Amino acid sequence: MAEKPTSSSSPLTWLIDPVQPTQDHAEDRYRFTASVRSWVIPTALGAALLILSLVTLFTGETQRFLYAYLTGWSFLLSIALGALFFLLIHHITKAHWSTVVRRIAEAVAYSFPMLAVLSIPILLGMYDLYHWTHPELLDPASPDFDPIIDGKSPYLNEPFFFARLAIYFLAWTVLSYKLYTRSLASDVEHAPDTNYNLRFTSAWGIPVFGVTTAFAAMDLLMTLEPHWYSTIFGIYYFAGAFLSAVCLITLIAGFLQRRGGMLQQTITTEHYHDLGKWMFAMTAFWAYIATSQYMLLWYANIPETTVWYRMRFEGGWMAHTNALVIFHFVLPFLILLPRAAKRALPLLSVMAGWLIVMHWFDLHWVAFPNAFAEGGFHWVDISVGLGLLGIFVGAIVYRLSRHPLVPQKDPYLQRSLKFENF
Amino acid sequence: MLKQLTRQIKLSMGIFESNGDTTYGVLAEFSNPGTLLDAARETRKAGYRYFDTHSPFPVHGMDKAMGLGQSIIGPIVFGGALAGLALAVWMQWWMGAIDYPLNISGKPFFSTEPSTPIMFELTILFSALTAVAAMLALNGLPRPYNPLFYSENFRRATDDGFFLHIGANDGQFELERTQEFLESIGGYNVEVIEDRETATATSE
Repeated sequence: MAEKPTSSSSPLTWLIDPVQPTQDHAEDRYRFTASVRSWVIPTALGAALLILSLVTLFTGETQRFLYAYLTGWSFLLSIALGALFFLLIHHITKAHWSTVVRRIAEAVAYSFPMLAVLSIPILLGMYDLYHWTHPELLDPASPDFDPIIDGKSPYLNEPFFFARLAIYFLAWTVLSYKLYTRSLASDVEHAPDTNYNLRFTSAWGIPVFGVTTAFAAMDLLMTLEPHWYSTIFGIYYFAGAFLSAVCLITLIAGFLQRRGGMLQQTITTEHYHDLGKWMFAMTAFWAYIATSQYMLLWYANIPETTVWYRMRFEGGWMAHTNALVIFHFVLPFLILLPRAAKRALPLLSVMAGWLIVMHWFDLHWVAFPNAFAEGGFHWVDISVGLGLLGIFVGAIVYRLSRHPLVPQKDPYLQRSLKFENF
Repeated sequence: MLKQLTRQIKLSMGIFESNGDTTYGVLAEFSNPGTLLDAARETRKAGYRYFDTHSPFPVHGMDKAMGLGQSIIGPIVFGGALAGLALAVWMQWWMGAIDYPLNISGKPFFSTEPSTPIMFELTILFSALTAVAAMLALNGLPRPYNPLFYSENFRRATDDGFFLHIGANDGQFELERTQEFLESIGGYNVEVIEDRETATATSE
């Protein structure tokens, strides 16, 4: 996937990392010291799993493959969006504590160009994924004519869909490019305006992020059932997105420290504690939004709005629904509640991995029941998910390996290093 | 027995009652928050347990320096949260299904879906009230009478004074030695505080 650092001007590398390597400027304690295997192995494993999953295209399970791909891809998209929001919200509030983990978040956030390329199978498979693309639904003469979808066709049509996706990805790429490259530039050159610039970008970036994320969630996942609508759906997607981004940042930080021996005395228990607080808060926030969506639809009890939940209460999907409530909210909430749990890195890492898996499980639950009446997993659901994740993580580690691991000249860094919870 | 228990509870709240006689403790002033922080650390190191610090504003790191440890307010609030949740479930069930069942568009008399906001809100409400009440109780507040108020100098604790006070009931407390100790760690204006309430009661 990624190329050697020397050829960073080629378009392929631009997709992964647009900045020339700056690791030579890194102070010793902020240097990435792991070997190239740290990003080659996940990328290679991921690519192998993806190729293996292509088998299903020849066994007549194209739709299963496409749904698995859409789930895995929108899972990665949500993590990248969550990391972008992590940067935006901490820049705009002049947060100091997060400076030591900011570079990791930046490496996660600059994933949009690669994700745009990875979206090609979804665009090619739209007919199998999105029911509203079927032309006979809009033809009044056809026996399959669907007046509801016909009424939505000014919005739900392929050209406009592609145009919207292009706008979203343009906005996210510009935002993450600005935040990523400006921060990297400040490592090597004297740039006193960096923090101001990052904050300025965040100020207009937050509303742009909010609108594009909400509409993207609706376009990509909500329209899988085009009769159904929920105005809170974008926030539902965002809640899981931010949660899993915080979890991935925690896992990468823990991995760099415990396995790689990097960033010693840089990221401390205090920073993990704050990441744990985000994790805990977003677990509760996700449940709050999920309940808000479900309760109102339950109470109104209008057939075209309850149909979405009905699909998830039948055919084995009820077990998924129950598992979601227990393992995405009740247990993580109770486990992450005590202060001690957020300060113990082994436990916090387990919870981070757990919640990332549950976010994928959540998106699987959002996507699959629209097309598959029977609950449960197909092996391709998991192999495509892991395959895409491998490539995604490989690219993140590749970006990290080329630059200092923290914004080493950031004026807030000293306060971040000394940060303590009270 | 009960008296002993009340004493222990009061001690945990930072209310140090004198041991029979009228001596309440020794108060010393320190010049700034930094020296107060060091003094608290030294006092703790010297083996004193029943002491408290007073400053016009919160001093970061003071709880660590005094060795106060983690507050038990978390588990208490969790108990309050569970009580609120239980009350909400019971209330929704009893009112909706037992006391006054109303058929509203064919919905069940009791179900979790419409009860969730009530459960959530009462959990939050009880947690918040428990947190405030437990905070006041653990701090021994409100406390309108404190023998330290007899010290003229102590008034500045709400303005620009930094004080450390060692209770007379501390196992290590010896009037002379404790005074010398406070001076040795940089305290000045060291004064012995008399609990005059008991004093006037006996003299009259």
